[in-house]
Amino acid sequence: MSAEEGAAQSRLGFQLGPDHISFDLDESAYPIDAVYGACYLFIDRCYVYLTRPAEGRVGVRLTAQEAASPEALDALAGEFANELLAQTLRNKLSQSTSRIREYYTAAALRAATSAPSVDDLLAELESEELLEDPLEIMVPWEEKHGDGQSSTDPDSKDG
Amino acid sequence: MGERVAFDATLYREDALQAAVDAYSEVAKIEVSQGEGSFDAEFTDVGDYDPKMIVHAFANHVLHETIARRRQAALDTDS
Repeated sequence: MSAEEGAAQSRLGFQLGPDHISFDLDESAYPIDAVYGACYLFIDRCYVYLTRPAEGRVGVRLTAQEAASPEALDALAGEFANELLAQTLRNKLSQSTSRIREYYTAAALRAATSAPSVDDLLAELESEELLEDPLEIMVPWEEKHGDGQSSTDPDSKDG
Repeated sequence: MGERVAFDATLYREDALQAAVDAYSEVAKIEVSQGEGSFDAEFTDVGDYDPKMIVHAFANHVLHETIARRRQAALDTDS
């Protein structure tokens, strides 16, 4: 696992070896947490090995667990690159919304500690006068307005 | 001379490497030494196994341990 042996360029521009494919990443574009996130999802599919070819760069080498065609290796690296982008975006979103998440978590915890118990809620329900109906919502329309010809009916004419 | 692999010290954790060495102790004899900015592992006595396959699987194990330990360390720091 050191030097590239007979590396050729794949269709997607990665360095292609006999049973592996490799590429370098710029850490300023892809944070190391995103690289680890993508690696984590691929270690059950292939052998993943990381190197540090230069300061601020990470070398990724994906080796097939079984014999694989160049097209299959290319597809594997392409999937890895897509996952890397997804992880990078997730990472950035996570960082940019961390304060909001902390605020909501704290608010939820505060609310949970001051929430009334079930007994309190039942006692509150029992104490309410459920039959009060100041807006007469439970009164049928006919009963409220007589036989339907109410005095406020704009179509009705006296005499 | 067995297979050798270098784990960059900025990418792999030393405790993760040690955990992987312990996990593979029944599969191969692995000697770890400190290189220049890396931890070097040398594999001997791999028995009937394919040495290259063992090295690849071992590297995956070290990476997995490194990621898991980094995540746990981040959780411990947050709490």
